[in-house]
Amino acid sequence: MGVLVLLSLVLITVSFRSSALDGVQGTAAGILKPFEVAADRISRPFRDAVSWGRGLVDAKSQNKQLKARIQTLQQQLSLDEGAVQQNVQLKAALNYRGLPSIKNFRRVNASVAVNPQSAIDQSVAITAGTNDGVRAGDVVIDPVTGGLVGTVDRAFPSVARVTLLTDSQSAATSIDLTSPTAVGIIQPGGGGSDALVLDLVSKSKVVREGDTIVTAGSLGKSTLQSIFPRGIPVGTVTSQSSNDVNPFKNIQVKPLVDFSSLQSVIVLVPSTR
Amino acid sequence: MNGLKAALVLFVAALFQLSVLTEYRQFRTASIVLVALLAIALLRGSVFGAVAGFGTGLLLDTATLGTLGITSLLLTVFGFWIGRYGETTARDRFHAPFLSVAVVTGLYAFGLVGLQFVLGQPAPAGLVARGLPLALLLNLVLTLPVYALIRRLFPPLELGDRVREVRLLG
Repeated sequence: MGVLVLLSLVLITVSFRSSALDGVQGTAAGILKPFEVAADRISRPFRDAVSWGRGLVDAKSQNKQLKARIQTLQQQLSLDEGAVQQNVQLKAALNYRGLPSIKNFRRVNASVAVNPQSAIDQSVAITAGTNDGVRAGDVVIDPVTGGLVGTVDRAFPSVARVTLLTDSQSAATSIDLTSPTAVGIIQPGGGGSDALVLDLVSKSKVVREGDTIVTAGSLGKSTLQSIFPRGIPVGTVTSQSSNDVNPFKNIQVKPLVDFSSLQSVIVLVPSTR
Repeated sequence: MNGLKAALVLFVAALFQLSVLTEYRQFRTASIVLVALLAIALLRGSVFGAVAGFGTGLLLDTATLGTLGITSLLLTVFGFWIGRYGETTARDRFHAPFLSVAVVTGLYAFGLVGLQFVLGQPAPAGLVARGLPLALLLNLVLTLPVYALIRRLFPPLELGDRVREVRLLG
């Protein structure tokens, strides 16, 4: 037993302090990938049946709500289309060069092979790696909602680890889409829930409940360029308040992405790579 | 033969945990791998438990792309400890698997937090403490079928096989 404990301690030290074991770990993880995918495929029909049953319970009430929402969104869409056209024409006329947006990135689709393993684990393993152009620091979004999922933490040849936005060490400069001067840092709210907090927003800025929060790109105060392209939706404001003690607003944000049931993701790889 | 069987059982348990069980947030606190490992350790002894724990931990660390050795260290220690408990006092007692799973579930959760803390990674002990009752409940529920299955695969050793483990004096 002593030998095994010693071996574990050596593994922890080498793996934590250097990247000497990354090659071996990447190869081993690549070998395990087909088994994980097979297990996922075998269990998928059962999981689908469970979600179908769950969905059926809420279907009627959701149907009513969604019909009403479609009407509102159709009106909004016709207004937005006009604004987009005008925006394109104005940008062309001014030869305007904006911040990098999602359009400047190649999309690498990957499925989630390994979910978070415990309450304190806020990372997933995905089935794309350096062979697909994925590198540590690349931004990951949700294919369904387009919302921000997190960033690639470690990349191996055929797999990569993604740290979710709900991890305590994740943060991204974000803005309120309705009031773009309200710039802050989006970070996890803590307490084990998926709620996020938009911190460091000045009290003088106007932020309303229901506003959409998106990534700011390079608008932060740092001299370094943000790794997040501008305009990735993060979530909607659920509450906002301020008090005399805190110099900043207290803004709670509900994420757009359902982090508890990620099936697949899109990694944004810079087109220049 | 026992080693091969144990490797296969733990590999299937690990795959089930990695790809299926953790799909649902409520079940993320449960660990079918831990339950299976403790059942094997109880039935096959300390050295077998330690080796199985080390291998399983390495498999989990590799698949999750985490820091190698963290899970191995914990599972080696708990595999050995529960194996020793099985060798000395607990082998034929009904409550042994339940007691082992309950104690190790708590120690494993806080052991993981402790190691994360030592490595300077986020270690939210409060979050783990809040999730512990559910983890205990789920692991104890899993213990009954998993232990029954593993007991069929690894029948308790006969007295003749056991004398090598605990030397009889006098």
